[in-house]
Amino acid sequence: MAKPAVVLIGADKGGVGKTTVARTLLDYFTAHQIRVRAFDTEVPRGTLKRFHPDVTEVVDINLVPDQMKIFDTLQDGDASVTLIDVRAGIMSPTLRALRDIGFIDAAKKGQLTFAVFHILGPSIASLDEISETAAYLGDAKYFMVKNFINNTHFFEWDEATHSSYFKRIKDAVEIVIPKLSEMATEQVELASVPFVTFIANKKRSGEPANNSFVLRGYVRHWLGNIWAEYDRIGVTDIVRPKELTTATGTASTAGNEPLGRPRPVVRIAAEAANN
Amino acid sequence: MLTAPAQASVAPGTGPARDGASRKTTPLYIVCSPQRTVGKTLLARLLSEFYLMDGRPVAAFDLADEEPQLADFLPRSTTLADIGEAMGQMALFDQIIADREATKIVDVSHRTFKDFFSIAAKIEFFEEARRQGIEPLILFMIAPGNKSAKAYNILGRWFAEASLLPVRNHMVAKGVPYGSGFPNESGVSVSLEIPLLPASLKALVEDRSFSFAEFCRERPSPLPARLDEEFRAWIKRIFLQFREVELWLICEDIMSSLR
Repeated sequence: MAKPAVVLIGADKGGVGKTTVARTLLDYFTAHQIRVRAFDTEVPRGTLKRFHPDVTEVVDINLVPDQMKIFDTLQDGDASVTLIDVRAGIMSPTLRALRDIGFIDAAKKGQLTFAVFHILGPSIASLDEISETAAYLGDAKYFMVKNFINNTHFFEWDEATHSSYFKRIKDAVEIVIPKLSEMATEQVELASVPFVTFIANKKRSGEPANNSFVLRGYVRHWLGNIWAEYDRIGVTDIVRPKELTTATGTASTAGNEPLGRPRPVVRIAAEAANN
Repeated sequence: MLTAPAQASVAPGTGPARDGASRKTTPLYIVCSPQRTVGKTLLARLLSEFYLMDGRPVAAFDLADEEPQLADFLPRSTTLADIGEAMGQMALFDQIIADREATKIVDVSHRTFKDFFSIAAKIEFFEEARRQGIEPLILFMIAPGNKSAKAYNILGRWFAEASLLPVRNHMVAKGVPYGSGFPNESGVSVSLEIPLLPASLKALVEDRSFSFAEFCRERPSPLPARLDEEFRAWIKRIFLQFREVELWLICEDIMSSLR
């Protein structure tokens, strides 16, 4: 049985783009033919579920039955990756709960892979979050995400202060999510489809949509840059260890790309359009 | 100066490459230069009127923000475009892609030169245009000085999938060598030149009510016989070059249908 991977996306502050990052990751996994299931903790009505209803379930992570639904089923089904979009304000309590149920220890023992994408806000309070988060991380892969999608300016950040916090977490890696044109953001929101579906100019039903070519171009360019960041940090290697993919050959895509390499966004979109 | 976007994709290729080989390719002329007063609007006017004269549909887009501009001369077939905002970009690029019938002519002012090509690279505009059976032809008005040659070189590197053609306006670029500064590496083996216009005709051509097409149809001409002859020869020479470009497009269509 493959080692399950859990990807937690969170922040203690709202409106910093957690769900946007979750959506780009779901598209990325799908593009790499990595089976993924997602949990949206924004009860009762999750935003992530609106964009990826087929793979997403809305849960209340504070409730034990819902925690069981997520963590007792990591080996069940055919999804090798479990992605959890943690709603604002409960990142630290969630990590604490994971420690209490022995999840962090299991990751430490190599029984599962645990990755945290910590979406940072522009304020100094975000740096305190890093400090608080560090206490629960164990051997998790930790990614500090600077999200510029909402035209955020990290104005309060002093580089030296930032570095001092950054160094507190062993092997922390920084990722930058670039800004996307407001109008493009708005149109994808209205379309309520995954980014790659929007780029392919399709509706959820698979019928042709009437999305602007310009806006699709902006989304394609933006998503391409984010995927380049995921390539850089080796997301596929984290959730799908190399020896496993080599043995099963599951990373091999329709094209002739090397193992684990992403296909260009435009080709993913073209394939989606043909399906 | 232009800075290449991270994903400015460059796909090699010459001639039309599109989905559905049976469709006729329509040209998209982008008249541009990073410098002002080099004759961009004159060339855009001549191109527009070349097609309008035969009753063929033309959609012209004017990115200029100072007068006189294309829209002043051809208000009925020209749309003013402001690419400073997403709405304006959609109005321009989406409309070009959506219209499969008309010949498109974009007059890119020196002020919008950088933005236009940056956006085009970012949204992979030329690749999509070619997929839709629209052949982008960048008509670059050459001018003396490094600025012009440098910009030409950058466009050549960024947009290998579009045909980049140097255009020499003898009123501003007489003696500027095409050579290494402005090599024509496209498949279109036409040297586009705007010959010197007799000084006595300048005022007539710059009159906003003047139409090249109407002048060609009009006989007798209001001009003295010798000047009339000279002017007609001037227009004919330019239109002949446009015909050669069209012929190249037709040949490419035939070639691609045989592939």
